[in-house]
Amino acid sequence: MKRRRSVVTTGRTARDAYSGPPRLGLRAPRTRPSPALEAARTESPAAPVAAARAAAPGEPGVDPSSVDLSVDLAPRRPGALVLQNPVLVASGTFGYGIEYGEVVDVERLGAICCKGTTLKPRAGNEPPRVTETPGGMLNSIGLQNPGVDAVIERYAPLWATWRVPVIVNVAGESIDDYVSVVRRLEGVPGITGIELNISCPNVGKGGLQFAVDRDAAASVTAAVRRATELPLIVKLSPNVTDIRPIARAIEDAGADAISAINTLSGMAIERRTGKPLLGNVYGGLSGPAVRPVGLRIVYEVAQVVDIPIVAIGGIASLDDALDYLAAGAVAVQVGTAIFADPEVPLRIADGLRRYCAERGLASHLPLVGTALPARPNRPSAKGVEYRP
Amino acid sequence: MRLLDAELVETREILPAQWLQRYRAPWLAAGARAGQFVHVRTPDYSGLVLRRPISINTIDRAAGEITLHFRIAGKGTELLASARPGDSVPMLGPLGRPFEVDPRTHHVLLIAGGVGIAGVRSLADESLEAGRQVTLLFGSASAAEVYPSSLLPDEVEYVVATEDGSLGQPGRVTELVPAYEAWADQAFACGPRPMLAALAHIASGRLERMGVARLGRKRGGGRPIPLGSAQARRRSWLQVSMEQHMGCAVGACLGCVVWGVEGPLRVCREGPVFAAEEIAWEEPA
Ligand SMILES: Cc1cc2nc3c(=O)[nH]c(=O)nc-3n(C[C@H](O)[C@H](O)[C@H](O)COP(=O)(O)OP(=O)(O)OC[C@H]3O[C@@H](n4cnc5c(N)ncnc54)[C@H](O)[C@@H]3O)c2cc1C
Ligand SMILES: Cc1cc2nc3c(=O)[nH]c(=O)nc-3n(C[C@H](O)[C@H](O)[C@H](O)COP(=O)(O)O)c2cc1C
Ligand code: FES
Repeated sequence: MKRRRSVVTTGRTARDAYSGPPRLGLRAPRTRPSPALEAARTESPAAPVAAARAAAPGEPGVDPSSVDLSVDLAPRRPGALVLQNPVLVASGTFGYGIEYGEVVDVERLGAICCKGTTLKPRAGNEPPRVTETPGGMLNSIGLQNPGVDAVIERYAPLWATWRVPVIVNVAGESIDDYVSVVRRLEGVPGITGIELNISCPNVGKGGLQFAVDRDAAASVTAAVRRATELPLIVKLSPNVTDIRPIARAIEDAGADAISAINTLSGMAIERRTGKPLLGNVYGGLSGPAVRPVGLRIVYEVAQVVDIPIVAIGGIASLDDALDYLAAGAVAVQVGTAIFADPEVPLRIADGLRRYCAERGLASHLPLVGTALPARPNRPSAKGVEYRP
Repeated sequence: MRLLDAELVETREILPAQWLQRYRAPWLAAGARAGQFVHVRTPDYSGLVLRRPISINTIDRAAGEITLHFRIAGKGTELLASARPGDSVPMLGPLGRPFEVDPRTHHVLLIAGGVGIAGVRSLADESLEAGRQVTLLFGSASAAEVYPSSLLPDEVEYVVATEDGSLGQPGRVTELVPAYEAWADQAFACGPRPMLAALAHIASGRLERMGVARLGRKRGGGRPIPLGSAQARRRSWLQVSMEQHMGCAVGACLGCVVWGVEGPLRVCREGPVFAAEEIAWEEPA
């Protein structure tokens, strides 16, 4: 019998959205760090947790279906944003949840963050708008969207019929913009939460991004907080010198959760012409290349805020998600990896369930923050319910 | 649209750095139409994070097979060319909107620039099957890149132009078009954007010369045909298959936009086939 070689690890078997072919032998299978190593680097409060995480498969586990992967992203608003699992799809990579409908069972996702939505329709930037870069991609979509009223009219009625919560990603050029968009979203059936994209130029401050200015970030968060009862996630930009004061200010201004990271600012040259490749010159870098940056930022933010953190940045496999949980996130968003393999988010959720079951964990929450340094009264990831 | 693994059956280099690959993919073969494409995962993703869009070159429904014809343009296509028979290659498809031929059309003019032939190739088969006459105008830089006539059905009239004059008529493929303009009931083109822009210019002049009603205008009391509809493409004399860098290829990321006369159009969703009138063309050089 002729052996059928598989040159590509198929979507259904690979753990990593980018796994290479076995025949090229470029990648050794990734394994988790050894239990000893993990126990050694984890100090007292988290030690039992580390032990749980390190328990090897094969030891008495629990039934995967009994693992509760649910996570509350707005503990101060009980029941307002409880996800069935901690794997979301990132804004801008999953449209409005309908585009991938034929190939992904969207109802099984933790939540959907829709494309950035502004007050008025936006046509977006000059093409080309995307290009591949080493281990990642650049995009300069320019927030093309039909405007908040059209989003409410076209998509919210459908979202209202879904079990999966939809979180509307909101963008604006002034605090008034953000507030107006959010006011319109308030009370619309089908809209479960807001993710504030503050990586937008603030026209009132000469185009300086809200996200890089602590005061602007705090003001826009506070203004939106006053305008809505919807769960509010604020999404951080990595393009800052120190994220910690910004994260703290956002928490103080009333955000329910923080998501991080948005894309890193970058550019590409078209070699043939020697000119900038993207129509907009600058683009945002995403994909596996940004994962270490995302990890560092989540790790830093987790040490200064008490609200839940949703990690974003280059997540393409269960291993990547576990790393972010260890760094302090309670949930993750998958973005760019969806383009290579739309099944990745669901595979990570299923993989996480099995991973917990094999280790006898009833939930993934004990895996959260194992990498963080010990400190007194380390904040809980799930409000008062969980104290290590 | 579906995620599937296509098994490579046969692969060969038909022209320098241009590969023709035959895949077993019954589901694609059953449902795909001329003008649609697949989003292909290349065989090594250590570093490549995006799939590559490739037109469905031919469709053999009976055998459950499709072919892809591509030029090595970079790392992704290079890796795809390294796939061997028996390999399975993940594809997402069929994607995008197909060519729409007016039922009244008898004379089909296909216009291809270089590897753009892959974008219109299956329409030759589809048109012949429907009993239409097909002429293919093909242009390339030199004889070395001319698409082998052995890969075309015998019934296709095949006319070649090369820029260096080494085969067929010297010059660009667009210069062949005026001679066929009156014969052709409809024209379908794929190639570099400047070529398509030049063709769109010819097509718009043709409408004026022949006094044909424009899209969207009332014809004999009928309703205006909305730009972008299948009907608008069916009525259009020139349909073009366009390229743009892509992320998702399903309409989710808005990465593959080209400017249409009414705003941004996603090549993966509203295209890749457009009525020439839908696109905001630059002035031909
Ligand atoms: C709908 C559609 C159908 C196509 N059909 C064919 C076909 O049948 N045969 C063929 O040879 N080529 C076709 N192309 C072009 C083909 O997609 C590119 O040549 C290919 O993506 C280049 O990848 P690479 O890794 O070899 O090149 P690289 O230059 O290394 O690619 C870098 C990045 O740019 C993108 N890119 C580069 N050039 C293009 C381009 N012209 N169009 C879109 N993306 C590009 C790549 O996808 C990748 O993301 C088609 C493009 C589209 C949009
Ligand atoms: C094509 C594209 C469009 C995006 N659009 C938005 C957007 O509208 N709003 C936003 O907050 N983030 C947007 N992002 C950023 C992603 O949500 C995410 O933060 C980033 O891509 C990093 O995650 P990843 O590496 O998993 O892609 C976009 C990213 C991509 C690739
Ligand atoms: S490639 Fe994503 S919208 Fe077309």
